Amino acid sequence: MNRAAPYLGPMVSTTGYRDLIEEAGDMARFTGRFFREVLRPRYEWEELLRQAFINGYRSLPLVAVTAFIMGLVLTVQSRPTLERFGAESMLPAMVAISVVREIGPVITALICAGKIGSSMGAELGSMKVTEQIDAMEVSGTNPFKYLVVTRVVSTTLMVPVLVVLADAIAIWASYIGVNFKDTVSWPLFHQQVFDSLIFSDLLPAFFKSFFFGFAIGIVGCYKGFHTERGTEGVGRASHSAVVVASLMIFMLDLVAVQITDILGLN
Amino acid sequence: MEHATESRTDIAVEQEEVVVRIRGLCKAFGSHEVLRGFDLDLLRGENLMVLGKSGSGKSVLIKCIIGLLRPDAGHIDVLGQDMLALRHDALDRMRMRIGFLFQSNALYDSMTVRQNLEFPMRRHWSVMDANERKARIMKALEDVGLAHTADLMPSELSGGMAKRVGLARTLIMRPEIVLYDEPTTGLDPITGREIVELILQLQRQYNTSSILISHDLNVAKLAANRVVVLHEGRAHAQGTYDELLRAKDPVVRRFFMAL
Repeated sequence: MNRAAPYLGPMVSTTGYRDLIEEAGDMARFTGRFFREVLRPRYEWEELLRQAFINGYRSLPLVAVTAFIMGLVLTVQSRPTLERFGAESMLPAMVAISVVREIGPVITALICAGKIGSSMGAELGSMKVTEQIDAMEVSGTNPFKYLVVTRVVSTTLMVPVLVVLADAIAIWASYIGVNFKDTVSWPLFHQQVFDSLIFSDLLPAFFKSFFFGFAIGIVGCYKGFHTERGTEGVGRASHSAVVVASLMIFMLDLVAVQITDILGLN
Repeated sequence: MEHATESRTDIAVEQEEVVVRIRGLCKAFGSHEVLRGFDLDLLRGENLMVLGKSGSGKSVLIKCIIGLLRPDAGHIDVLGQDMLALRHDALDRMRMRIGFLFQSNALYDSMTVRQNLEFPMRRHWSVMDANERKARIMKALEDVGLAHTADLMPSELSGGMAKRVGLARTLIMRPEIVLYDEPTTGLDPITGREIVELILQLQRQYNTSSILISHDLNVAKLAANRVVVLHEGRAHAQGTYDELLRAKDPVVRRFFMAL
């Protein structure tokens, strides 16, 4: 594998296609191992809770600030266009549908890919190059179960929670944005938002965020677990975890949109 | 292999219990053959040192013994168990009977010294009373002279202190065999000597058998009952430090000429 290629690794190297397929195969094996290990005892509940706290609770401030700005900016920027068509009363509904169906899950997942994915890549990469993962193994602990399974399960469960919270915060920020120029009461705004949303807006968006969380966890852990070449490799693992996880989020989103369309949920 | 030393080992093997027996061990990375039919016997209570140049496969050897690397061919029996035939859980149980001191110490840098020592105990002796666990941790730290460091992070320790904590973590599970990977590398000569003396003291205290991997002849002189010279993937010669010091073999001579 050409390790000289920056961040995207094999994707931009001269022998790119073969390396890309090899890496995809490695990642598929890694994912397969995750599914084998996740069901087999012993279950690392304590570490899972710790990881859920780190990946969920500690990501909340960043996600909340981003969601707030996202809701506010989307509202303020959409108003002139809607005004041109005399449809400014549609502003709460438009923002709510945009945020819940697409922007909320994708932006939250990208924020998590940046924060959680990079930290997983760096942490596990650092543990790998300093032999801490080997030390765990020789102490009779399965490092894959302890380090990878707990992290992947935690992101799979926590990213949807963060998405729901981000949606709520963004809609609340939209209420503030609407009131910059108009005066709309919270009950009216609330009613307009929930009248516009239907079950098929919520469910696919919520469901795909589990896949986003899984992708962030599995890519971050894979990159960290396969770190080579010392501290340089740790930096590379961290960066490539973010890049690959972000790309996977967009690809999963594309697939989710197609499936939603086929199922007639659009 | 040198004749004079070969017979000495054979006598010892017949008379004493072999705790690690390695036969015909081969390991290659791509086209690079690191081990090419390596043989070794470790006797109970013995301190055996594997001496070899950097890159000669010393670390590969002990990683094969503990199961971190899978050899391409050969047999490894540890405490009567075929290590290569053990499945996950059995291998984990066997690893509890083998300690491993890493060259880099490999302390978990997100945990305090106390948590580093507690980690294997919590997992394998979960029924142990918390007070007993705490007492055992403090005893292990006292044994290495670092009782005051229990609440420090690994990043706050010097190289010598980290090595001592690594040693305490290795011995806290009371292993029967300890594998030391370059125990003095990166330490100044005084600290290195202190570590070797500590290893000897703890070996007597915990009654362990040891394989020490090093290119440091001072370790061989101070700690080893027997030295095996690893050259071109094989056990080229073996004997006591003094026997090898007098050996005529040119490969062995090259090691000792540096003294």
